[in-house]
Amino acid sequence: MSTNAKVDYQTEKGGYYKVLIGLLLLTTITFIQPSMFLTDATFVVQLLIGLIKALIILFYYMHLKGETLIGWTVSFAVFIVLFFFTIVIYDVQNFQFVDESHISSEATSAGSPTAGHHSSHSDTTSEHTSAASHEATHSEH
Amino acid sequence: MSDHAYVPEIATSRDGVEHEVQGWQGDFYGGKLGFWLFMLTEVLMFGAMFMVLTYYFTLHHADYIDASAGLNRVLGGFNTVVLLVSALTMGLGLLKMRSGDVKGAKLMIWATIFFAFLFLGVKAIEWSLEYQHGVFLGLDALQSGNAHSKPFGQILFFGMYFTMTGLHGFHIIIGIGLMLWLLKRINAGLVTPEHHILHWNIALYWDLVHLIWVFVFPYFYMIGADAGGYHIPDIGSLFGGHSNEH
Repeated sequence: MSTNAKVDYQTEKGGYYKVLIGLLLLTTITFIQPSMFLTDATFVVQLLIGLIKALIILFYYMHLKGETLIGWTVSFAVFIVLFFFTIVIYDVQNFQFVDESHISSEATSAGSPTAGHHSSHSDTTSEHTSAASHEATHSEH
Repeated sequence: MSDHAYVPEIATSRDGVEHEVQGWQGDFYGGKLGFWLFMLTEVLMFGAMFMVLTYYFTLHHADYIDASAGLNRVLGGFNTVVLLVSALTMGLGLLKMRSGDVKGAKLMIWATIFFAFLFLGVKAIEWSLEYQHGVFLGLDALQSGNAHSKPFGQILFFGMYFTMTGLHGFHIIIGIGLMLWLLKRINAGLVTPEHHILHWNIALYWDLVHLIWVFVFPYFYMIGADAGGYHIPDIGSLFGGHSNEH
């Protein structure tokens, strides 16, 4: 395979430094984004930046560029992961077992007997994770 | 170099005819493909953990943001840059090996090991600071049902934080071990510019460790970076579910 062929260090090293600069720039954007732009969508923006960084690393540092078979294998694995992500997120948004669950509002209130220790922001969380407030919040929108 | 000369395995048939057994030592692509399959199992493992993280995040948005806001972004960010530079040194090391500069390759591997230890040192400082603030696995703040308990969503967040960064740190430690082993093999003449699949695969491993951090860092450290009055969208709403935006 071509990747096993001998290479010229001086010719090839420039690519590595370019990738480094690109990744450093994206990392800088990661840091300034929450206070600079698209502040209403921090989570999505942060993961999108992460995705771009991941693709750069995969294609250039991990030499996936031009690797058809391995590329498809990786794509398939990522597809499987995203497929289950989608199912789980859809499922949790339509959560049917709030009363029985240990990860939802009932457990939250039981696990936080010291509401006074938390900020009002956190208290709001407890309310928001209850099924009733889910509906109430939803209706507000 | 000659120490690693390929010696074919010979099988003799019943009638005494010798046949050369097809060797796998020179199968560079096979070695690479096999390692990619191993890395996919890693992706599935961390993917499952990210799925659990997302599941809890969807249920406990505000708690997650509050907890994230409390993490040390300076140390986390510093470690992000450390890993980034270490990926460069690892890549350049492989490039040097492939171009025939074995001494330069070894130097770059040592540099990568240095950055790996630096990452672990900073992570240790970070965890120590969190321990001093009463936030660590097993402490009261992360146990539900006592006077010092954090909100349930935060307990889940920190549980995932220590588990995932801990597992990532464990991968860093394994990486250091692999690099030391690689140096030993290079010194023994078993990894050469002509036969460098081990170096290639360990470089791939290190890139995977970097890749995982690329997602671990924003998910834990950055979602609450501007917790003072910023709103995070309900990611579940992207899929048509209920919105619990605060």
